[in-house]
Amino acid sequence: MTITAGPLPTRTTPGALAGGFLTGGVIGTSLAAFVVGCIIESLPLCFAGLGLSVVYGLLFFLAGVPRRLREAAVVPRTALAMIESLEAVGGEATSDIAVRFDITVAPNDASAYRVEFTQNINLADLPDYRPRGVLVVEYPPDRPWRVRIVKRPTPEWEDRAAGARLDSVPGPAMVSETPGGCALGFLTLLGLLLGAAVVILLFRADLFAQDASARPPSSARPSVSSTSSTTVVSSASATVALGPDQSFLDKGELRRAIDALTKGKGTRPALTVVVQERLLSVVFAPTGTQAPQFDPRSLPYARFPALVDEATTLGVRSPQTWQITAYRLTGSLTIRVGVTGADGAASLEADGRGKVVRRTPAR
Amino acid sequence: MGWHGYLVLWCAAFGTMALLGYGMSLAGVTRAQRTVRVMGRIERVREPRQGSSQRDGIPVVVSFHDPSTGQEFTVTNDGEHGDRISTAWTGREIGVRYPRGRPHAYRFTIDLWANRHGRAWPNFAVFLVYAGLVAVAAIDWGWPWALLGSGVPWTVSGACYVPQNARAASRRIAALTSRTAVEGRVIAVLTDTSTDDDGHTSTSHTPVVAFTTHEGTSVTAYCADGLPDPTNSYGRDVTIHYTPDDPAVFTPDLASEHRSRTSEMVFSVVALIIGVSAVAVGAVAVAR
Repeated sequence: MTITAGPLPTRTTPGALAGGFLTGGVIGTSLAAFVVGCIIESLPLCFAGLGLSVVYGLLFFLAGVPRRLREAAVVPRTALAMIESLEAVGGEATSDIAVRFDITVAPNDASAYRVEFTQNINLADLPDYRPRGVLVVEYPPDRPWRVRIVKRPTPEWEDRAAGARLDSVPGPAMVSETPGGCALGFLTLLGLLLGAAVVILLFRADLFAQDASARPPSSARPSVSSTSSTTVVSSASATVALGPDQSFLDKGELRRAIDALTKGKGTRPALTVVVQERLLSVVFAPTGTQAPQFDPRSLPYARFPALVDEATTLGVRSPQTWQITAYRLTGSLTIRVGVTGADGAASLEADGRGKVVRRTPAR
Repeated sequence: MGWHGYLVLWCAAFGTMALLGYGMSLAGVTRAQRTVRVMGRIERVREPRQGSSQRDGIPVVVSFHDPSTGQEFTVTNDGEHGDRISTAWTGREIGVRYPRGRPHAYRFTIDLWANRHGRAWPNFAVFLVYAGLVAVAAIDWGWPWALLGSGVPWTVSGACYVPQNARAASRRIAALTSRTAVEGRVIAVLTDTSTDDDGHTSTSHTPVVAFTTHEGTSVTAYCADGLPDPTNSYGRDVTIHYTPDDPAVFTPDLASEHRSRTSEMVFSVVALIIGVSAVAVGAVAVAR
């Protein structure tokens, strides 16, 4: 039998490193997009984060199809092998333990070679594996380092192994795991951090604006914020006026304004909340009043744009202004949305969850 | 894009996948349809080793013919090769499937013709579309529609399943008692130890019994249920009731068969009652 040392397997390629970096980047980006989307209440951003990971996973899977088909088409080769040494390397808490084998593989029609690999072995079967013992292995001919011990060989190979005597091959042994895992792990982590950082940088304005608006006003005096809005707070009421080119129907604008008005003052119940295109007014309930009141933060602000949209479809031609009034005169919270146009007005009423309960079309 | 938009997108995506899947199935190009399915024969059964794992199944040597080349293959259930073989005897037929032209990628299968048309994924996609439509109905028209949407298919499938299950259980017990029992022996107890994320270790013990039927078939089988104190059952003599047509159906404890039949029936009926209740509550709420 010819005995020579076999070639060493290829190391981690730049392509694999780039793939790891890209995978880390996509994971970081999609995770950050999902989290940032939740914070700034942007449903599209949340879905974009989820969609990105799904699409990347799909592309990754499809890109690997040709390679997997190619590998699956290769008929594995069976050969006898001899154990040079073995060492338990982990998994003592379970029935199986990971054993690192150093073996000489002796194919029928090729040169013998040494290979190191790790395989899980059941504790009950461990006495079968001893140095100098002969066993049956299987490997793909194009990747001879991916050796697997055949624990249940066919009768033919069992007979061969029983009567075989193999000679050792001098090292070095091939290794089944590709080296460079550390670099791959580092690049994946780097990609993950960069992906997350890019998303946070892109949406920093929304994130920081949220923080800024969440800060309570320092006093009840009129104040002009750094953005083009004016906030006036007194003990009985509060108003926020937006500057030109802004609208309370903009994403998150209304919630930010309400949070800014109510934060730091405890739960101040309101009698009425009125919202117009660029004006928000809250009338707070006087202390000790028996009038029906509600928590202004409890209104379904995310539904307001949809309610206004719906109200404009109730037959008002050329809608010009709209107004939302939330009050609780009849016991349950009512949100009334009115839209006026050149030739009339229409309105609808919704309950405390933003569900439309009554529509009054334009006549 | 509001909830409606996302749900429409959901239904459209899975509807397209379902249509694509059914189209491929009709054209006969699904992976399941391109799979070669042949019946193999167990040529040799080896005894499992005491204390080894039950994951690998009973060690067997199986032969099968590739219909396209006529070549005979002799293989074993070593490693990942499909369904676990938990009952074996020499001469038992066992399903083998593999991609066309790749008999080395064989997989053992208990049900050879399962999903032979490749419609499992399209059917699942239709289920997801249905779930999306139920969600739309529940959001638009209120929660009773969620009860109706989930309760109706639940009840229909339960109503079909309960009588079938009752008949199957009766037939099984009748078959198990049709012949006198035979003596068997626990030839090994297989042990599997696993550790969960919290570091807790759990150990399972699976006795393996060997018995010979009146017809002379030597059966080796896992016996997960019906043996008291399975951990210390190694070497114990047991009485086995088996089905003459299929010795894979057997039990060392007829009484436990009766008990499990009763508990299965109770479970099925309770599940059916839950479904009917959901439909009734949903219908009443919608009617109001």
